[in-house]
Parts: sequence; C-alpha cells; structure tokens
Amino acid sequence: MSSLRTKGSFFKFYSWIPLIVLFVSVLNEFDFNYLNLDYFSFNFPFILIFYFTLKDFKNFDYFLVFLAGLVNDTVVGLPLGISSFSYILICIFTSYFRNITIRPNQIKDWFYFLFVISLINSINYSILTLFFSFNLILMSYLVNTFFTFLFYIIFVSIFKFYLKGLND
Amino acid sequence: MASSRDDFIIAIRSAFLKKSTQQKFSLLSLVLVSAFVILLSSLDFKVIRYLKIGINEVVYRSSFVVSIPENFIKNTFFNVKDYTTFFNSYKKDKQALDELRSNYVSNEIILFENKELKELINDYVSSSDKVLAKIIVDHESPFLKSIIINKGSKDNIKIGTNIYDQAYLVGRVIEVNYKTSRVLLLSDLNSNVPVTIAPQNVQAIITGSGDNNAQIKYVKEGLQEGLTEKSIVYTSGTGAIFKSGIPIGKIKVLKNETKTNYNVEFYSDFSQLKYVFAEVVTRTKIFDKSEESAENTDQNKNPIDAKIKILEDELEIIEQTNLKFKDENELLKNEIDNLNSKIFNYENEILNQKKTINQFSIDKEELEFLRLNLIYSHKCQTKKLFSTGFKVGTPEYKKCILNRGKKINE
Repeated sequence: MSSLRTKGSFFKFYSWIPLIVLFVSVLNEFDFNYLNLDYFSFNFPFILIFYFTLKDFKNFDYFLVFLAGLVNDTVVGLPLGISSFSYILICIFTSYFRNITIRPNQIKDWFYFLFVISLINSINYSILTLFFSFNLILMSYLVNTFFTFLFYIIFVSIFKFYLKGLND
Repeated sequence: MASSRDDFIIAIRSAFLKKSTQQKFSLLSLVLVSAFVILLSSLDFKVIRYLKIGINEVVYRSSFVVSIPENFIKNTFFNVKDYTTFFNSYKKDKQALDELRSNYVSNEIILFENKELKELINDYVSSSDKVLAKIIVDHESPFLKSIIINKGSKDNIKIGTNIYDQAYLVGRVIEVNYKTSRVLLLSDLNSNVPVTIAPQNVQAIITGSGDNNAQIKYVKEGLQEGLTEKSIVYTSGTGAIFKSGIPIGKIKVLKNETKTNYNVEFYSDFSQLKYVFAEVVTRTKIFDKSEESAENTDQNKNPIDAKIKILEDELEIIEQTNLKFKDENELLKNEIDNLNSKIFNYENEILNQKKTINQFSIDKEELEFLRLNLIYSHKCQTKKLFSTGFKVGTPEYKKCILNRGKKINE
C-alpha cells in the first residue's frame, strides 16, 4: 500500500518534470552562455514548449507557459509580455500543426519548428527595435535560431525517452 | 426572450465542453493578454511598473536559488581555469602591483589637488559611500548584458547609480526595486558612456558591442589615428551620468586589411563579477566660513545678495592685492634709497682716491725737480757777471731744471 503511494507521488512528480524544467530554465537561463563561445546560444524554453505542446502533454498548461514567459522577461530584462507572447504563439502554432497533421513525422516537426522560431524571433526583434528602441545584433538572433533548430533534434530524443518512461 | 438567452448560454457551455474549443479560447485570450501587457509596458503604465517590481522581487530571489547548481558548475569551471593559469597571473599581478604602488602616491596628490580646486570654485563636493552588493542573477544573455544586485531603493540605490568592480566602472543601475536592482553593463549595446582617452585627451562616446568589448563612437575625425594600445579610457563626466575620472579600460587596436578599428578592452572581466560596489552619492555644497555664520539668515537665499557677496569678495581680494602691491612698492623704494646712498658713498670714495692720485703725481714731479735741481742748478741759475740763467723760483727756472739745463736755442 505504502509502495503504491510512493509510486503515485513519484509519478505525479515525474509527470510535472517538463513544467519544472521550463521554470528552472527561464529562471536560470540554461544556455551555456558562460562558456563565452562567440555567438553561441540557444533557446531551450522554445524547444521544450514546442515539443510538449505538440504532444499535447496534459500537465503543460498554457497559463503556466504564459507565467513562465513573464518570469523570463523579468530575468532577462525584456519588456514585460514579450516572452509570454512568443511562448503563446508557439502554443498556437503547435496546436494548429497538431490538428492538421494526420501522420506525425519527426523531420516535418523539426522543419516546422525552424519556421516557427524564425517567425517568432523576427516578431521579437521587430517589437524590441520598433516599439522599445532596443539595439540588438541581428546576427545573434540568427545564430540563436540556428542553434535552437540544431539542438531540437537532440533534446527531442531525450524527451522521447522521458515520455517512454512515463508511459511505462 | 428569456428562453433564447438560455439557449445561447447552453450553446456556449456545450461548445466549451470540447477540449479543442477550450484550448482555442485560452490561447486566444492569453495572446490578447500578452499583447495588452506589451502595450502597457511600452506606454510605461504605473500598474505594469508596480507589477514588474513585485514580480522582480520574487523572481530575482527565486532565480538566485535556482541558479545555485549551475553557478556551482560555472564557478568550478572557472576555478579550474584559474588554477591552470595561476602562476602566470601571479607574475602579472605582482608586476601590476609594483606599478600601482608607484602611481598611488601621485594619485593621492591629484585627489587632494582636485578637492582644493573644487573648494576654490565653490563647487559641490560629492561624498560618496560605496555599498558592497552581491550579484544574485548573472545570466549572460546574448542579447542583453545586465546583472541583478541585492541592493535596491532600501539602500539608497537610484536609477543611474554607478557600479564599480574595485575602482573600475562596470555599469549603471537602470531599474530599482525595493531590495534588488538591475545593472546595465558597459558591454551592452544600449550602453553609451562619454569618455576621455588619455594621454591624447580625445573626447568620445563608447558603446557596448554585445561581447566583452566596447566600440569608440562619435569621435572627431582624424583624432583616432593618434590612439595607441597604451591609451587609457576613463569617464569624462559629460552629461553628469557618470562621475568623471573613473577608469574603464584601454584601447585595443584591431587592424584589418582595409581599415583599423579601435575598441575598448575593459579592465574588469564582466563574466567574473561576484561582488560589485554601488556608489551612493550625496552632494553637499561648500560654504565659506563667513557664509556659515550667516547661514541662519535668509540673505544668502536671495540671488542679488549672493551676487553682491561675490562682488564684495572680489573687492576684498582686490584691496588685499593693492595692499600687497603697496608694501612691495615701499620695500622697493627703500631698496632704491639704500642703493643711492651706496652710490654716493662710492662716488666720494672715487673722488678721494682721485685726489690722492693727483697728490701723488704732484709729489712725484716735485721730487723729480728737486733731484734734477741738485744736478742742474748751476746751469740754470743767474750769474752776476754774465746773467745767462734764470732767477731761482721762477717757472722758467723750473722748466730749465726739468729740461736738464738750458738749451742752446732758448
């Protein structure tokens, strides 16, 4: 009986891991920037949100994603609402993609992800430069998009492993 | 009428029973909320500002706690890196320390001189307290270069407060919360600092380049060529955003095939910051002692009185100068009198000496006459029989003696 209870609480914790990781990553900016590699950066929350909303993961609530965006804006120092807007846009795109997809394909997902993050980063860049007069390096955005795209496939294999563990 | 309204509500409720409709609705509303928040942020609404301050206080602390494991890994990485270069850096530090020790004395003198000069021009003297602050969030975002420190409005931190790493400038505060503040680093693209480049004395503005360097901008054409890698960049104080004379970095010359770029290499490594100093400045006006005595009266508050006071001071200074000149004149006059009396004495002396010389020459002539008189007197004296000579004592006689006897043709 007690083992079942233990299993139940562990299962609950296990099923909340993606959301916990999302909040940890936005609070911590988990992106290896301290390595000081020129132009190297990637957006981990984008990968996480895209994958789990595409899979329609039950604990990945849109409102919590919205809150994660607000936290990210606060930590990074961006105007409030920018990251939330980006994250919710990802959710909209994945929701649409999920509805129109009959036979899911990882490569298709991957390139759709590239399209989505390119579009969102462009919107981000435009809002920040046009409305908030931020000086930003376009190259950094492009490289960030590129590395996020590359890292997607690596993280997807880890997430698959996680989902497999959850189903088992 | 009522039944049609009930039908409408039932239709909506049944529509919301579908998961996809719920999702669509929540997504749409969240997008609208996000857009609304962005709009309010851009308009700098008070509600959003307070909301942000509230979120900041919670998020910064949470971020600090969450970052502990990553910071541990990061610090371990840097510690290992430090140990590998430990000996070389020790040697460099030792050399730098020697140089600094020699510069310290001259620096002290300059500071003292600066303070004196400021007091002379009745300027403000800024007494500043440096508050030690810990960096609680340092996520090196590729887009924005900023850090969060654990000091806020509670510790008198204000927007624009200068932040230092030791004596070097690292940035300024751009956002203040109650217990935390955000510091925009000099390396950020949005950071502009008016600087002076020494020893060329070139005025410029440096802008962060997004990495650990800054670019020199807005410098007068032609002045860049004089810059070398030994040139030092420090704040000029123009615009009163940063205090003047704070060292920032040194010039780094990057030569391409086509053109030469001049960057600024910061003295401080922004990726290694753990603690910084926030300079809390309190400005106090310097008053004269005479002003202090009249402090309680309202006279000084009047600008005309202040002007009169300045003029009176000027007059006093001029009077003092005049007195000084008078004294000097008096002294010079005395000196001239002394010199004149000396000249008079010397002239008297010369006259006496001349007299003595004349007497000497007369005596010498007389002696010669007497000597010759002994020898040639018989040749010049008158004789009763022939009366060919001269009478003794006459000038002719003297002439005859001096001529050593009478000449034939005389």
